[in-house]
Amino acid sequence: MQLISHSGLATWLDHLAQETTLIAPRNVDGVLLYRPVQSSGDIVWDFVRPVLSVKEAFFPATERVLTIEKTGQQIRLNETVPDGERVIFGVRSCDARGFLAMDALFANTEPVDVYYTTRRENTALIGLSCNEMGETCFCTSTGGAPDDPTGMDLMLTEVDDGYAIQVITEKGAALLPEITLQELAGEIPQPVLNDPVPFPPMEAWPPQFNDAYWADMAERCLSCRICAYVCPTCRCFDVRDEPLPAENGSQHFERIRCWDSCAGEVYRQIAGGHNPRAAKGDRMRNRFFCKFYYYPEQYGPVACTGCGRCVDACPVNIDITEVMHAVQRLAEVEP
Amino acid sequence: MTIRNGHNAMLPYLGKLVTVQDMAPEIKLFGIELLNVGSAQFADYQPGQFAFVSAFGVGEAPFGIASTPERGNVLEFAVQRLGAVTTEMHELGEGDIVGVRGPMGNWFPMEDFKGHDLVVLGGGIGGAPLRPVLQTVLDHRADYGHLNILWAARNPSLLLFREEYDTWRAAPDTELHLTVDEADGEWEHDLGLITDLLEKVAPAPKNTIAITCGPPIMIYYASKVLQKLGFEPKQCYATLEARMHCGIGKCGRCNMGEKLVCVDGPVFSIAEAGRFLESYL
Repeated sequence: MQLISHSGLATWLDHLAQETTLIAPRNVDGVLLYRPVQSSGDIVWDFVRPVLSVKEAFFPATERVLTIEKTGQQIRLNETVPDGERVIFGVRSCDARGFLAMDALFANTEPVDVYYTTRRENTALIGLSCNEMGETCFCTSTGGAPDDPTGMDLMLTEVDDGYAIQVITEKGAALLPEITLQELAGEIPQPVLNDPVPFPPMEAWPPQFNDAYWADMAERCLSCRICAYVCPTCRCFDVRDEPLPAENGSQHFERIRCWDSCAGEVYRQIAGGHNPRAAKGDRMRNRFFCKFYYYPEQYGPVACTGCGRCVDACPVNIDITEVMHAVQRLAEVEP
Repeated sequence: MTIRNGHNAMLPYLGKLVTVQDMAPEIKLFGIELLNVGSAQFADYQPGQFAFVSAFGVGEAPFGIASTPERGNVLEFAVQRLGAVTTEMHELGEGDIVGVRGPMGNWFPMEDFKGHDLVVLGGGIGGAPLRPVLQTVLDHRADYGHLNILWAARNPSLLLFREEYDTWRAAPDTELHLTVDEADGEWEHDLGLITDLLEKVAPAPKNTIAITCGPPIMIYYASKVLQKLGFEPKQCYATLEARMHCGIGKCGRCNMGEKLVCVDGPVFSIAEAGRFLESYL
């Protein structure tokens, strides 16, 4: 395995920032986010994880799907598929693991989503291992690890004299700096792990569907949906048309899609008012069943990477690991 | 998969409104002729499938297709004015351009229904996606057995496709039963819920398929009455509606458990959907 020195890495990232769009963890008004950087100096190095997952670089909070030009009775549509190559540096393993779930739906289930897959094809991921897990992290309980290279093109791990570089894909190899890298002497240090939380198997879930637990645990939910917005795998969206400024006697609109969440009160409400999930307990139950039962049943991967963001973000301390504990307990009582 | 490879499934085809008819208070029947490539996509859609219709500038919403390709290339949708998109659609007139995505979802297995007696239960606007079933049976009358149509609405003015009732009644081996929740002075048919009518008509379950669409609570109770009459869950079909934003299995909105109404439905047998119906009310 090869080694890149701290200064060598900075030079390489500066070069990438010149050559392409380089996205990395940076401080935006006090909030750590994956955002384009101009040089390695913009990058934050000491962090657990950005507030929003790297999902937003592929499936943005709001994105234009098409534009609409209306002139009298004439309509013209313009497809707005994203372009431009990008490199994302500093990707955490939990976020890259989120692509297992996202790809399964958007890229590997027909019809493919052209917006998401185009960005996936045009983007290379350089991972950065965690030396230790954050307080609310539980990636090792959902199949991952702090240094798991799954989904990365290159994986960097900090060592004494710099960073060890693992080449995962050809896309990653093509990014490597043109300078000669040293060979790494010795082993890559092992990350410090948190105690695992129980991971109830799929068959543990359906028997708990009608349990009183859901209404009880959801009582304090504010239906604010932050859990879905910070999640690397939540992918529900809304679609609507918004006006753009008129031009040359034509009306212009954009059709956008934006994140949404099954925790929201009117998520399932149809025109006319009928709402099959009006109760908070039904909505929270759907959220957790989706993560650990519906999503794996529909597409294969579990829709939780153990990143812990929802645990940190919830204003009323709803904790997904407590739900995992509870379902495990219920399954043991009534298997 | 009905959405072809290579096409961006979020991009609508353009279509022209060729007919706009008032059907009932706040309900209009829209006829859309697709322009260019879209018409080929809709050459062979099936009874029970749905499509997204765009009122450009406001948005799009899913509607069951109320026509069959056998009867011509005009796609029909019965649309009740309820939300933003349907309100905008009601402002449109003949010649206006709309968007259409689809056809989406599965369909009623009309081939498998051949040789069976049919009971079709339509409630309110839920009658619209059942019209292609009726049209298919009437156009191939000899292929199917006895046809019992149970048609309901809150009041007589809300009954859909009234001008077609004489044709339905005149078809061989076909009965039409009407009921409303609230009648006016002229009303000479049944009064009460469609489930009461179903108990009164009491179709025999032997070699019979029941098909229903309406509000979730109607589907739920209709399936209970059908089972009381001796129907097996696998003899009963329902087409379900749900809020959706994509129609192609991506937006996550329309799940009932691990099933998605848009791609696993909208047509379900009660054997499949029965366990979800209670949580869907």
